[in-house]
Amino acid sequence: MIEPETSERALSNAASKAELDREFSDLYRAHLRDVYSYAYYRVGNHHDAEDLTEQAFLQAYRHFERARRESDGRPMRPWLIRIAHNLASNYYRDRSRRSESSIDAVEPPAHPHSTERVVEGREELRLVMRKLEGLPEDRRDALIMRFALGMSNREIARALGRTDGATKVLIHRALKQLEEQMAAEDEGGASDD
Amino acid sequence: MTEPGKMELEALLADALRPIEPPEDLAGRVENTLSAITEQAAAALGSWADELSDSELESLRDPRNWVRPVAAVAVGGAAAGALVLVGARRRRKPTGLRANAGRVLADLGAELRR
Repeated sequence: MIEPETSERALSNAASKAELDREFSDLYRAHLRDVYSYAYYRVGNHHDAEDLTEQAFLQAYRHFERARRESDGRPMRPWLIRIAHNLASNYYRDRSRRSESSIDAVEPPAHPHSTERVVEGREELRLVMRKLEGLPEDRRDALIMRFALGMSNREIARALGRTDGATKVLIHRALKQLEEQMAAEDEGGASDD
Repeated sequence: MTEPGKMELEALLADALRPIEPPEDLAGRVENTLSAITEQAAAALGSWADELSDSELESLRDPRNWVRPVAAVAVGGAAAGALVLVGARRRRKPTGLRANAGRVLADLGAELRR
């Protein structure tokens, strides 16, 4: 026999669970593209990006109640991206693969410009992707979060588990290193001509 | 780093790292999985209703006690429908990370049963 108090508690728990599921569903719909974009730029192909995204949301669902409680009203996107970030790191560690060899394979997006500009633009985009590849993982991740996902410094800091100040420095150094590498490439190309 | 150079590089990065739309079947697949989890929760609630004793059933004849069963139906329905699917989607054989996802799902099922 089920005691009335037990029944009420069960109902209360079920109501909370339904509300939690609704919230998670909203979170999922709002950020599926973010998680997928991040995963894609980390692993460099759609197949693994799909798997990583699916796994990230399943893990997120599992820990959503606690995360929501501890978020204290702050946006949940950094938490989601942090899960994807950890999964991507584990993914390469488990398979003894280097993530550094992936993003280079990402084809630059198409541009609605003239043919000449498209060719020139795509070469430049390929170059920046290749140089991005050469950055240390944390710098490259910060740039993916900033430019592919449009995350603020604060969001990136939360996703990477760093302070706001450290994140600002990280992004500054990443851009500086990238610019230097692009410049070196230009000089190398000019001397080849 | 010079300001114009920085601006140019940032524009280039924004162009190179455009957001990627997930494939349509991915959305369906994740929703399917999450929906399966919530259905397990709803099933657990249903089994609770099946276990009502005679005395509890007797008490349900009193309209003052109708609030809880009505709430149970509403909550059960909400739990099952919380993650509504958008059509049938193609599913692939689980490998790699997807196989891990299956294990996560199985763990969740076990937790729900507890």
